[in-house]
This record gives sequence, structure tokens and C-alpha cells, in this order.
Amino acid sequence: MLTIIIRAIVIYVLVLFVFRIMGKRQIGQMQPYELVLTLIIADLATIPMAEVSVPVLHGIVPLLTLVILHFVLSQLSKLSPRIAQLISGKPVIVINPKGIDYIAMKSLDISIDDLFEGIRGQGYFAMEQVQYAIMETTGKLSVVPKAGYAPVTNIDLKNKVDNNFLPVNLVCEGQVMENNLKLLNVDQEFVKSFILKKIGKSAKIKNVLLFTLDKSGNAYLQMKGEEFKTFQGVKI
Amino acid sequence: MRKFVLINVVIIFLFLVVICIAEDLIVTSGVKKVNEDCMAIEELVDHMEDLRTMEVVMAIENLEYNWTKNESAMCYLVNHKSIQEIGLEISKLKGYLENNESNDFMSSLDAIKFYSHSYLHFMGASLHNIL
Repeated sequence: MLTIIIRAIVIYVLVLFVFRIMGKRQIGQMQPYELVLTLIIADLATIPMAEVSVPVLHGIVPLLTLVILHFVLSQLSKLSPRIAQLISGKPVIVINPKGIDYIAMKSLDISIDDLFEGIRGQGYFAMEQVQYAIMETTGKLSVVPKAGYAPVTNIDLKNKVDNNFLPVNLVCEGQVMENNLKLLNVDQEFVKSFILKKIGKSAKIKNVLLFTLDKSGNAYLQMKGEEFKTFQGVKI
Repeated sequence: MRKFVLINVVIIFLFLVVICIAEDLIVTSGVKKVNEDCMAIEELVDHMEDLRTMEVVMAIENLEYNWTKNESAMCYLVNHKSIQEIGLEISKLKGYLENNESNDFMSSLDAIKFYSHSYLHFMGASLHNIL
């Protein structure tokens, strides 16, 4: 049994390493060859984990071979658009200003229901709202709405607005994020004094659920089991 | 990140090359050794009326010792089930020797040779094996 436990740990660490090398796309939307790889990896990983007579190398070697294969395919895809098209396919416009492209739809082997589902997923509920719909190689539908149905932006309204700054997590579940402090050029003392000032003397960092701050001085602070508070104009 | 991936890919590639060479060396030499020991026993017992001589006993001991030594190294690379038959036949061989059953002894010896031959055949990267 100990062998199975150790094998499970080895394979788990290895699969984790494989996914780290293969990049974040594996976790989200995948290209066809990445999906195939993921399915095979899942199967390969389980064989030596439970079958004691199979050496663990019989799982490790094909897994690592797939890593190399994936690397080669990715490099080939980058090298030539033709190869990329051959491996991953190409985006197809299924709706254009004239309406649904029936031939494109048939070539993708999708139905009107599938098309509607994709469009609804993008927040549009009628065909006439859509100017273009593109079926991406990952199987996701990208939609360009007709001008009249596109969301109004500040540029359309000619509003003058400041750019948004990304809020940085300074404290998460009682842990100070040391690396994030550097992004705002603040230190632990700043965080401690801010929390003491805003919450009171009894406040401790370990009781902070979330404390975020952005460069424009907007802060969000929530203590564990309490309501959140927001602050503006915090001086950094 | 790209450098990290590239370094890892190169390391993995080298690891795979090392594994393939190690497998070829360890398994081929281990199985060949068994085959050679079997041939030596075969020559030794040829036309022998009574198998229970010191030379045969020593030769079987030698075969078993060599096999056990190689088997432990091979277990890192080969499915245990694929090679366990050889060990099984060696223990049968010892039983036949004790009872002086020469026909069974010879067929067991042949079985060991057959298993070692067939394993060498089935391990190699030939078109038959791949397909």
C-alpha cells in the first residue's frame, strides 16, 4: 500500500509539473491537440498509480514524451501559420452582416441551436443583434454586436474618466502578501497602522479577511466575520 | 518562462534518452545472461543419466543468482508480470533436479530460453511491436 501512496504522490507531482510546463491554457479553453493531450495524461497517470507490477517509469516516460511532443507542436505552430492551421484549425465566421453563413455552419457541423447557445453565452439573445460571430479554434464563439446593440462606453458618451488601477491584495486571510507590498511601495508597518487606524486598537492582521489597495488610494477592508469597509483617498 | 520551459524540455529529452539506453543495456544484458547460463546447463546435462551432480547444482545456483541480481534492476524498467515466468521456471528447475526428472528439467530449461528470447523480441522497437 505504501508503494501505491508513493506512486500516487510521484505521479501527482509529475502531472502538476507537466501542466505547469504546458501553460495556463490547459486549465481553461484548449486547442484540439491540447485537449487530446490532457485526456491522455489523465489516463496515463492512473496506470502505474494502482498497478503495482507496472514500473512507475511506464507512466513517467510516456508523460514526459507527451511534454516534448507538446513543445514541438507548439513551436511548429508558432513557426508557420499553415502548420498552426493544420494542428489547431482556423477561426470561422459563422454570422456575417448578411446573416448566418450556412456553409460555414455545416462545415463546423454545428446546429442553429448550438449557434444560439453560443450567442446567448455572450449576452445576446436575438440574431439581429449580431454583426459577426466567429467560431474560435478553441470552440468558443466570439460575437461582435451591431453598433446599435453594443454597450455604451465612456468614449461614446465623451465622458472624461480616470484610468482604473488594479487593486492589489495586501492582506489575504490574515497573511500579509510580501511581494504585493513592493508593487505599491508600502511596508508591513503601513498595513498595520492603516488597520489600527480604521478598525481600532483591537484589530490584528491575522483577523483581516481581505485588504486591497490601488494606486489611486481606493481601499477595501474586511475583517473576518464582519462587514466590509471601503476608503478613498488613502495616502500611500 | 520560455527559458524555463526550454531547459525543462532539454532535461526531459536527455532523461528519456538515458532511460532508453539504460533499458536496452540492463534488460538485454540480464536476459542474455540467463540465456547463456541456460545454454551452459544444457551442454552440461547433455547425455547425463543422473542430473544430481555437483556441477549441475552449482550451474542452477549460478543461474538463479544471476537472474535474481538482474531481476531487481529490471523491475525498475519492465512490467514485473512479463518477467516473472523466468523466475518461476528456475524454481521448477530446482525441483526437477532434486527428483532427477530429466525430461521436465529439459523442457523447463527450454521454457526459460523461450521466455528470455521472446522478451528480447517483444522489447525491441520493431514495426511488429509498435503496431
